[in-house]
Parts: sequence; structure tokens; C-alpha cells
Amino acid sequence: MRLMAPEIVLILTALLILIVDFVFLRANKKYLLWLALTGLTGATCFLFLDWGLVSTTLGGRFATDTISSWFKFVFLLATFLTLSFSSNSFESQKKPLTHRGEFLFVMLLTLVVMMFLISSRDLVSLYVSLELATIPLFGLTAWERTEKSSEAGFKYLAIGALGSGFLLYGMGLLYGITGQTDLNLLSSGLAFGGMMPGGVVSEGIAGNPATWFALGLVMAGLGFKLTLFPFHMWAPDAYDGAPTVVTAYLSVASKATGLALAFLFLFQIFSVQLASMNTIIAIFATATMTLGNFAAIKQTNLKRLMAYSSISQAGYLFMGFLGRDQMSVQAMVYYMLVYVVTNLALFSILTLHIQESGNEEVKGLSGFSRTNPLYAFALMLALFGLAGIPPLSGFVGKFFLFSVAAKHGLYWLVFVAAINSTVSLYYYLRLVRQMYIEDPTPSSKALAKQPLMVFGLTVATAASILIGLVPQVYESIGLAAQSWVGLLGR
Amino acid sequence: MITIYHWLQLSLAIFSIGLYGVLTRRSAVGVLISVELMLNAGAINFVAFNWAQPARAAVEGSLNASRGVDGQVMAIFVIAIAAAEVMIGLAILVALFRKRQSVDVTDLNKLKY
Repeated sequence: MRLMAPEIVLILTALLILIVDFVFLRANKKYLLWLALTGLTGATCFLFLDWGLVSTTLGGRFATDTISSWFKFVFLLATFLTLSFSSNSFESQKKPLTHRGEFLFVMLLTLVVMMFLISSRDLVSLYVSLELATIPLFGLTAWERTEKSSEAGFKYLAIGALGSGFLLYGMGLLYGITGQTDLNLLSSGLAFGGMMPGGVVSEGIAGNPATWFALGLVMAGLGFKLTLFPFHMWAPDAYDGAPTVVTAYLSVASKATGLALAFLFLFQIFSVQLASMNTIIAIFATATMTLGNFAAIKQTNLKRLMAYSSISQAGYLFMGFLGRDQMSVQAMVYYMLVYVVTNLALFSILTLHIQESGNEEVKGLSGFSRTNPLYAFALMLALFGLAGIPPLSGFVGKFFLFSVAAKHGLYWLVFVAAINSTVSLYYYLRLVRQMYIEDPTPSSKALAKQPLMVFGLTVATAASILIGLVPQVYESIGLAAQSWVGLLGR
Repeated sequence: MITIYHWLQLSLAIFSIGLYGVLTRRSAVGVLISVELMLNAGAINFVAFNWAQPARAAVEGSLNASRGVDGQVMAIFVIAIAAAEVMIGLAILVALFRKRQSVDVTDLNKLKY
């Protein structure tokens, strides 16, 4: 049970929030947020207590290791930062979000299930936790109950369910091929064909068409979660229609979950097949980043622009799967951390801005530096971080990802990715131009500075600068990756 | 004699019908039903493969002849999760219907670029 302590703390907090919300109907609902943040802090403490412990429980179905600790930390950080600026949306004078207790409950349970996902070592628990990490997000997307929000929720649901249908079918085939549900046994079953008792197909599994068919279906499922190119189409609609807090959460937490899932499937299960997939991965990465960047150029809506920007970031991230060694694991986990803090720094300001001005257009930012100089500066830093301008950690993260591609001899991919970064600079700078060069509209005014939101923003911005400057972060992720790759074996 | 291949053909057929339905149905409820079909096709896969496994005893030479029930258990979970998914879908549809008085998916065109 000790291994599950962070998850248990979070589940108890979530239930407590729900009970307090129902029992004390007249109490000030502000305290619920503090309760949730306390729970998150407690869970983080428990996580640090057993940081990087390599162990399993529940008959090997729940495992912790160095990389799962990092993933859990990123999930906790993402939720903490998102909640730190959620109060803006709940306490706003203009069209505030409703049902705070339930919102926090759903957020915390989503987080718990994401943490279960990276720890699960069995097809059953993996599928259950994946679905439970996705289904609440449909509800969160449709939280506002306006026409737009419900429509976004339904589109997300229909496409998300399609993705999980593909994934489930692929998992069924994997189970049939090897007769196993344990991920380690499954992986060795796929590697050494014919050695597994209980497998229905018994000869030559490694190159078996059924294996590749299953791999294709699984890739489709992963693609939906990670917003890879042919499966990205839900993202702009869901991001646009969802409440801005949820958009922020979707853009980081859902993507990190997709990465965790891809780690389990590509590194652990399809470990042998991954070696011959470099071309496919390079094509996916190229298509995703190119589409994301070029589609973002034309956007006028801030949330839609950020959706395409996050699609292109997924494209960069996917380059890490070119190898199965310490370097690529390290580069991906590092970039995910960088992406989470940078994107949330950006969204904490956007949430406040969109909530107060009600204007989601890029033009709504005009003269933002005049009315809110500090917010504008933080926003500019975050945008430069996403584009990958040198002193910021976004550059360092991209550098390591690109060097994974270079190491595997795909110089054309490095070239394409570099061109793409330049293209992305165009639309990020368009926002900066709106903020710094355009004149403010008469209606624009200074935004309130809530202590909690300012705290979250400071943490995120400081992290997005310091992670790139302080080498210890990258090195400790490297050690974690090394031990994890050692655990994978072969 | 029914073999594993018959079951696989059945599940593939149901999966394809579901996929076709998701892509072509105009009614949102129809889309949800089609999604349910796809998930159930996956569940059939698990149950069928479990059924077709040679008993472990025959392979490993132990006295305890059992196949394990991993696939069956998975199917139960799939059913529960599909129900949860459809429940959320219907809840969203109710919210949408109140605003728009229609569940036709071709009317979902507020979000466009």
C-alpha cells in the first residue's frame, strides 16, 4: 500500500471535497480549492518520500520506478498549476464557472488515474486507467453547458471513443497473439515467438502480420491521445469550446498521459518492433509538426492557435521515439516537463485575460503590455519558450530532442524540425506584436492580481527559465532514464 | 465446428459496422451506439481468445487444468467502461439538446476555422 500512498491521499482528498461540498452547502466554496491544493501537496510529499523506488505491488500489476516517479511529478505539477489559476474562472464577475466542488473532484480523480496509468503493468489496469483518465475530460470540456462547450465535449467524446475502440481492438489482438496480459510477458512473447504457452498464434510472432496489425491499431489509439497528425482533429474543437482552465489542463495533462501510454506501448510492449519503425515515426513527427505549425499561422482565435501549437509540440516530442536508449527517454521526459511549465505559464495569463475580457481573438491582446506590463512580459517569455529561443528551457529541450534524431542519422528530420521551429516563431511573435506594438483598445484594462494565481505563474515562469539553466534537472532525469532503460532490458 | 477464426470474423465485422456507423450516422445517439459496437467487438476478441487458449495444463504439464480468465475479466471491464462512456455522452447530448432542440451531428458546426 505504501507504493500507492500518493494516489490514496488524492482519492481521499477528492472524496473529502465532495462530502464537504455536499454537507456544508452554505460554506464558502473558496476553501475547497485550498483543500485540493493541500491534498496535492501531501501527495507530492509522499511521492518524494519514495522517489524512484523500484518495486511492485498487487501481484506485479502496479509498479513504481524512476521514470514513473518523474511522470507522476509532472502530472501533480500540471494539476497544481492549473488549479492555482482556476479560482480566476470560479470567482470572476463575468460568467463564472459553476459547480466548484464537482470540478475539483473530477480534476483530482483524473489526476489519480493518470498516476495509475504510468504505474500499471497489466493490459486490464492499463486500459481501465486510460479510459478513466479520458472520460472525465469529456465532461470537463462540456462543463460550461453552453452550445459551444457541449459541442466541443461531444466532438471530443466521439473521436476519443473511436480512438479507444482502435486501441482496445489492438490490445485484444495482442492478448490473442501471446495469451498474456502482463506487459513484461507480453513483450517477451512478441519478441521470442512461439515460446509462450497459451498463445493462439505460435510461430514467428515477431514478424507476424497480426502483430503489425495490432501495432497499427495501437498507434491509432496513441495518436488520438497524443494528437498526432491524422488523429489530431479533435484538438482544435475541444480546446476552443472548453472552458479556458480545462483547455490548459487538456493541453498538458492529456498530452503527458499520451506520452506515458506511448512509453508503455512503444518502449515496453513493442520493444522489438520499435527498432524497425524509425521511418514511420519520422513521418508521423514531420506530418504532425508541419500541420500544427502551418495551420496555426492562419488562426485568429487564441485557444485554437494554442491547440495547433500544442499539436506541433507533440510532433517534436514524438521524435524522441526514434531510439530506445537513455538519451531518447531523457530528452522526452525533459521536454515534457519544460512544455508543461511553459504552457501553463502561458495559459494562466490567457485564462485570466479571456475570462475578464470575454475576447478570445488574437486582436483582443492588443496593447496588453500597456495595461498589464508584468503579465505581458511573462506571456512573452512563455511564447519564446515554446518557440525555443536560447536562454529559455524550451530551446534546451528542443536541442536534446533534435539530437536524438541526429544520432539516428535522420538529418533531414532535424532540418525539417528546425524549419518548423522558425515557422512557429512567426505566429508566436504575432501575439507579442499585438501586445507590444498595437495600441490598447479603450475597453482594455488592468487585470486583477490574485495571490494564488501570481504564485502559480511565478513558479511556472521561474521553472521554465531555471530548468534550462540548472543542469541538475537534466542530469537527474538522465539517471532516472538510465535506470529505467536498464529495467526494460534487452 | 466453430473455430477462433469464426469469432475473429464476427468481431471484425462488428468493429467495421461500428466504425462505419461512427463516420456516417447523422444522429448523435447513433454515433454513441456505433461506438458501443466498436468497444464490444474488442470485448469479443478478448473472450474469444481466452476461449481458444489451449488449457495451460496441457502445455505446462501441470495437473491443474485451467485457462485463466484474464480475457473474460477484461470483457467485464470493457462493458463497464463502455457504459460510463455512453453515460457521459448522453449527459452531454441532453445539455446540447436543451440549447439546440436537435441531436443531429451535422448541426454541430459552431466550432470551425
